[in-house]
Amino acid sequence: MWWSEILEPLVYPGVLYVTFLALLFEWIDRKLVARLQNRVGPYYAGPHGLLQPLADFLKLISKEDIVPLKADRLLFTLCPILALVIMFTASAFLPMVAPYGLASFNGDLVVAIALLTIYALIIYASGIAPPSRYSLLGAERVVLMLIGFEVPLTLSCLSVAIACGSLRISDIVLHQADRYHVLGLCAPAFALFLVASQAELERVPFDIPEAETEVVAGWQVEYASWRLALFRLSRDVEMLFLSGLGAALFLGGPLGPTSSRFSWLLPPIYFLAKSILVLVVLSILRASFARIRIDQFVSFCWRTLIPVSLAYLLAVLWVV
Amino acid sequence: MAFSLPVGPQHPIHPEATLIKIEVEGEQVIDADIDVSYVHRGIEKAFEYKTYAQGLYLAERICGICNVAHTTCYAINIEELAGIEAPTRAQYLRLIVEELARIHSHLLWLGLLAHLIGFESLFMLIFRDRELVMDLIEAIGGNRVVPAYNVIGGVRRDIDNALAHKIREALGSLKERVKRYRRVATEDPTIRARTVGVGHLSPSEARDLLAVGPVARASSIKYDVRADDPYIAHAEVPFNIVVYDTCDTWGRMMVRIDEVLESIDMVLYALDHLPSGDFRVKVPPIFKLPPGENVARVEAPRGELLHYVVSDGSEKPYRYKVRTPTLANLMAVREMLRSRGGKAVYVADVPVVFGSIDPCICCTARVLIVDERGQARETTIDELARMRW
Repeated sequence: MWWSEILEPLVYPGVLYVTFLALLFEWIDRKLVARLQNRVGPYYAGPHGLLQPLADFLKLISKEDIVPLKADRLLFTLCPILALVIMFTASAFLPMVAPYGLASFNGDLVVAIALLTIYALIIYASGIAPPSRYSLLGAERVVLMLIGFEVPLTLSCLSVAIACGSLRISDIVLHQADRYHVLGLCAPAFALFLVASQAELERVPFDIPEAETEVVAGWQVEYASWRLALFRLSRDVEMLFLSGLGAALFLGGPLGPTSSRFSWLLPPIYFLAKSILVLVVLSILRASFARIRIDQFVSFCWRTLIPVSLAYLLAVLWVV
Repeated sequence: MAFSLPVGPQHPIHPEATLIKIEVEGEQVIDADIDVSYVHRGIEKAFEYKTYAQGLYLAERICGICNVAHTTCYAINIEELAGIEAPTRAQYLRLIVEELARIHSHLLWLGLLAHLIGFESLFMLIFRDRELVMDLIEAIGGNRVVPAYNVIGGVRRDIDNALAHKIREALGSLKERVKRYRRVATEDPTIRARTVGVGHLSPSEARDLLAVGPVARASSIKYDVRADDPYIAHAEVPFNIVVYDTCDTWGRMMVRIDEVLESIDMVLYALDHLPSGDFRVKVPPIFKLPPGENVARVEAPRGELLHYVVSDGSEKPYRYKVRTPTLANLMAVREMLRSRGGKAVYVADVPVVFGSIDPCICCTARVLIVDERGQARETTIDELARMRW
């Protein structure tokens, strides 16, 4: 039908649904970490503070828009918009309501990972746009982080793709119809994926580019108002995307026991439950470490993470 | 490319206005300079307009965290000059509150260090457990942070059996928690990664730059006023001086954690051996001191605290001088902030190193040099270094 062509990308399972889920994921993350830290967490807006991420977003948008005098105005305006657009594009590959996403083609896994790298580069550009030393240091750190975590992230996804013999996310999902990857050969790849995701999301112990106590807020220090709101939303969508990708590649995405009566309802619920499981692991990681230094992170990546993921890739090649 | 990065005067790591100006090359700190003179409060001058009894409450407000140390120091300083002898029970009660304040200060610092290295969970949990001590201080003195417990001639309130029981119970559970934090601090790989070897200060440097308190004790200098120059009841309450030889932030952390455990034992010992008798001798609200001068030292949570009074025979001091531990540690921390001798200091280390001395700036800034033409300027840290003996 013609209206589903419009409604699917825009409403369900498109932009609106993704935004809803992203804000929901932010709430889960914040609430869980708060409870782990013996705090209350979001509380006032909505039941159990469920609306707090939305309230934060709206409040930020209503704030005064400040552009530093000597900032690169084009980059300063373009970066937040591009960041959000790229994350929405990436989330279109997620198999959220069916074994295939909104966009699905051979090699979409590579495109999704490439979008993550472009996202990191946009973060770098947004760090050098304002004339601030803190954001410059933050931008430097973003690039150093990128050359550290990108290889393990790609290799962990690649080893799954090799094990399944396809670079298409939906094929990898369907390949798991009888058994989930995390139970077998791909379990180490899942662990690598989680560590690299934590770095990609700039969360403790890898929140080095925006470390509050060191470089104030790093690359985002000069951003305010709707620009900051868009960055934060794009970060939430990225969180949804990475947990969803983990659920799709390793936990079987929307697959699960179905009954004919609820066949339209169950896959989204399965997908959501599995993504939240990944998110919970990421949140627990966030609550249990101190931030490490950038030199320690880079040497950790190149001395431990990358050799391990390379060795693992070779092992997968050997077995398959 | 080297550029200078101002950490402060407004920066998330500073609770007070401080400027650490660092020269940065990439992520490495080449040089550092510290300016603490944003909050000159004229508190020493204010002493000269207060009677001796009023001055006690001014001394209490020099520092929010070590206020008990300041009142203890002020009280023994004035008592020594006036020839007043506080009863033995009061000396023990002063020790109990002083050690409780030390526990709360050290736990606060530990939480702040966790925050500085990005370990928010540890920060939250430590601040929760710190409430146990805050409640005890409130039960004893009537106020959580500023109990106004010491008075000239003794203390303001007694500790009865019910309260002693409450203190024993709370400290028992606190001890378990602190032991757990000690294990976390020893074993957690990320905490070790951020603190071991960071902010190196060799024993000779520590002695040369006049470091005091936990900073000196972490550089294997066995120096503690409580043992070397015992005041109040410290001569009678046994304790171990905690010394580490790691010379780094990790050592400073362990010194403070172990001191919390020592302080808990000291409070429990003092409660068990609390002598009977009065807890206060009455002193008239306005009294005159014989002409003369006196110095008193106490071991504040941050290190050696020194009060100096000059009396001209009136009811107000002629001059009152306070040397806080942070001032003594400033020169050392500036050396720690520089990359030197193959030991690189990174930008990420700056808050950790500066935080490792437990800086308290509003107690520190009080020298403003005004020359004959009326030009005012502050003492720089280099001048300070030249003035040391």
